[in-house]
Amino acid sequence: MSDGQVYATRKFTFSAAHRYWRAEWSPAENRRVFGNLTVSHGHNYVLEVTIRGPVDAQTGMVMDLAELKRVVSDAVVQRFDHADLNADPFFLPGVIPTTENLVRASWDLLLPKLGQERLWRLRLWEDPTFYVEYFGG
Amino acid sequence: MSTLELTRQYHFSAGHRLESADFSSEENERVYGQCYRQHGHNYLVEVTVTGRLDPVTGMAADLGALDAAVDRIILSQVDHYDLSSAVEALRGVPTTGENLARAFWKWLEPALPVGSLRRLVVIETDNNTFEYRGDAAR
Repeated sequence: MSDGQVYATRKFTFSAAHRYWRAEWSPAENRRVFGNLTVSHGHNYVLEVTIRGPVDAQTGMVMDLAELKRVVSDAVVQRFDHADLNADPFFLPGVIPTTENLVRASWDLLLPKLGQERLWRLRLWEDPTFYVEYFGG
Repeated sequence: MSTLELTRQYHFSAGHRLESADFSSEENERVYGQCYRQHGHNYLVEVTVTGRLDPVTGMAADLGALDAAVDRIILSQVDHYDLSSAVEALRGVPTTGENLARAFWKWLEPALPVGSLRRLVVIETDNNTFEYRGDAAR
């Protein structure tokens, strides 16, 4: 069979708390910019991890999805599930744990494990109405 | 005139197991785990075609023709069959999502207007999706 690239996507879920707050701003300024996001709240996040590559002629797989599950669970899900994102080292130094920053943090955690050639896209759903995609770079 | 992409979703149910003829049964069990056991899925197939917007009809692709082609070439071959044993065109191929996406592309592509097939997606479960865009795509 031909050897074009195939993209395989697996879905993961984790629940985490966060709030949007800049310490150097006044409470009024925080409320004006972030509104009700200044109060600690949480989401059921869904992370879609897409890997790509040629299909192994023997196994018929791009990558063993059980291995992908292990890698993502160890690197991302265990770190963020039932965690307060504001207390994570990624977000402590004044980085707001927006969906945008969280998808980039997840990328930084997964890239060394999966490699640039294989890791193609992360899509992070904050709730059923909103997601952010990141392709690295 | 604008070029658009249209995606249509189809469904079929089939049995399968993951097994490679190159492996011993112990190796198959090690590589494919529980997928080596006979089981099945409610598969979803997404087909994306591209076309120029026809100013008269307001359509960029003939979805009726697409439905008929997908039904004849894919769905009728796999719906309520055992992919691992009953589909001649898949004989000797491990029926992973990757291989199904490529196989369905290969079957369908010649039946559609030249160059119109853009993307073929096989959704095996709510958690696992496999996408193929042809050999040219990087």
